[in-house]
Amino acid sequence: MHKITQSIKQNKTYLISLIISITAALIIGGILMDVTGFNPFESYGAMLRGAFGSARVFGNTLTKMITLCLTGLAMTVCAKAGLFNVGGEGQLFLGGLAATMTGVYLQGASPLIAVPLAFLSAIVAGGLYAWIPAVLKVKLKVSEVITTIMLNSVAIYVCTYLVNSSGPLATHDKGVLGGSDAVPEAFRFAQLIPKSNLSTAIFYSAVIAFLCWYIMQKTSIGLEMKVTGENERFAFFAGLPKDKLMIWSMVASGAICGLVGMFEVYGYQIRFQDSISNEFYYDGMLVAMIMNYNPVGIIIMSFFFAVIDIGASAMEFSTGVSGEISEIIFAVIIFLMAAEKGISKAITKKNLQRKVKKTMGKEVQ
Amino acid sequence: MEHIFDVFNIGLLQNTLRTATPVILAAMGGLMTEQAGIMNIGMDGMILIGAFVAVAFSFACASASIGVLIAVLCGILIGLFFALFVVKLKSDEFIIGMALNTFAGGLTVFLLRSIFGVKGTFSNSGIVALPKVHLDFLDSIPVIGPLLNDNSIFVYITWILVFLAWLFLYRTPCGFWLRAAGEHPESLETAGINPDKMKLMASVLCGIFCGFAGAHLSLGYLTMFTEGMSNSRGFIAFACVIFGMANPPKVFLAALLFGFLDALGLRLQSVGVPSDLTSTVPYIATVLMLVYVVVSTDRKKKKKTKQQLVEASERA
Repeated sequence: MHKITQSIKQNKTYLISLIISITAALIIGGILMDVTGFNPFESYGAMLRGAFGSARVFGNTLTKMITLCLTGLAMTVCAKAGLFNVGGEGQLFLGGLAATMTGVYLQGASPLIAVPLAFLSAIVAGGLYAWIPAVLKVKLKVSEVITTIMLNSVAIYVCTYLVNSSGPLATHDKGVLGGSDAVPEAFRFAQLIPKSNLSTAIFYSAVIAFLCWYIMQKTSIGLEMKVTGENERFAFFAGLPKDKLMIWSMVASGAICGLVGMFEVYGYQIRFQDSISNEFYYDGMLVAMIMNYNPVGIIIMSFFFAVIDIGASAMEFSTGVSGEISEIIFAVIIFLMAAEKGISKAITKKNLQRKVKKTMGKEVQ
Repeated sequence: MEHIFDVFNIGLLQNTLRTATPVILAAMGGLMTEQAGIMNIGMDGMILIGAFVAVAFSFACASASIGVLIAVLCGILIGLFFALFVVKLKSDEFIIGMALNTFAGGLTVFLLRSIFGVKGTFSNSGIVALPKVHLDFLDSIPVIGPLLNDNSIFVYITWILVFLAWLFLYRTPCGFWLRAAGEHPESLETAGINPDKMKLMASVLCGIFCGFAGAHLSLGYLTMFTEGMSNSRGFIAFACVIFGMANPPKVFLAALLFGFLDALGLRLQSVGVPSDLTSTVPYIATVLMLVYVVVSTDRKKKKKTKQQLVEASERA
């Protein structure tokens, strides 16, 4: 408890500006609703009801939180080591597809064998796909930002081709529009709340989140990663294996994204479809950026984002306000946080200058 | 063998011009910010907003030129907005760029839904397209005639803009300062010019170019707006800027090459390759080209330093 109060004290200004930014972003969202002819109070009410209204929708909110939290952590793992993995979306698609096909091909096998293999395939698929841009960056100095974005589109198009209409992995089930075969029922994660998306994936996610936090904050590898991310040269002269660290952090990031894809399918979607993710990774990235790549902060913030995201789609259904308002609110929070950082920096600089002038003036006298 | 002519024909070149134009425009904007030392990955969002605004005002005012004008004005505003964060408040360019893309994606869909009441795509016969240029005397020339005729007027404007961008950057004092702001801001400051002002100008110019790119995307050939219609073109433009080392003519060629590959993908569909697979061509090509360019420039640099070392040792 003492530790928590201490850390709150340390980050007091940050927390205050975060709360102000969120409030302001919600107000801006309300103004946008008002301008476009909707009642903001009613809409926000619908949003809250959509996220907390029943056990079922709350389960969906928690499921969304898992996705955001894991993708946010995936971004954090590599950002700490100084790499930006913008390609999580593609890694998510490939991981999801690999895990799904593993499940489909192992139909009839024991879940004790099939499920771990599915995990493994998701990790390998996501990790390998992140390994390519990582190696290009570390060995050849090719900007990973562009390559990961490009590889996103490639993965999404290829997966879409594979599972749609005449693709080689498309299902032959009748009455199903697009998608792969369904994962056998024995392999799917158990539902925790009936009819909601919430499954035992939340436990696996908790383990992953804990591991991420533990490795980054409590082990020497985490520290080495941080050193590499903050000052690559220093890491080099300190004799750290910086190339290895960078590549492995990127692979870990891709592996987490691959697992997110698997959880989507095994948790509630049953089969792999090209609609498996609607730019989930980008939202997770925003969460990570807002929280300054702090793992604990990301877990808390992803819950808030999940409430807005799930609530917004329910709001769209009941009041007609476009659910995309959630994206606008997220982006505005980032802009405000960025602005706050700049303004407070400028103020401290001015104060410092004033102080220097004062002391200098005294000395002259 | 007959398939080859299905793929490589005059249509391929026509498509090249069409698909390359928005990328060229955006890349011209991107090279301004790149020269001024800003990593701008928010171009995708800038294009998207430009495309939406152009369609909205072309429809509302029944005039394509008003649509373009407002799109450009919006581009100026976004450029100022971007500069406010990146230059004035010194925020992380990467974060602001990504946030700008998300913001643009959310805002355009939100407005599409709220104003026009549609989801996904807005197309209406009331949207006025950009005029097409037809020169009679070109008709009699084979190949060049059909290639250069009946293009949207923007195709030609783009060529002029590429020339102007080069002229501005390499033949005017202002362009010189802009480049210095990226390369050596300290010496620019010593010369009495504020590098931040140059950066601001670069990002406003980028906004203008991206506004043009968006307007061409939504009013050039297809007179409609689709959710996320920029389709990573902003990022491809960014890649083109790096291939071309932020030099307008080189960037222009890089963007043309991208357009050719994109068009090649479209053509391959007519031979029966699935469209989802052909769509990957430009993205894969971008990665490969990027690797090639980075590796070759690196090698050149190493050679140069080696030569200098040899010369120095000889002198010694």
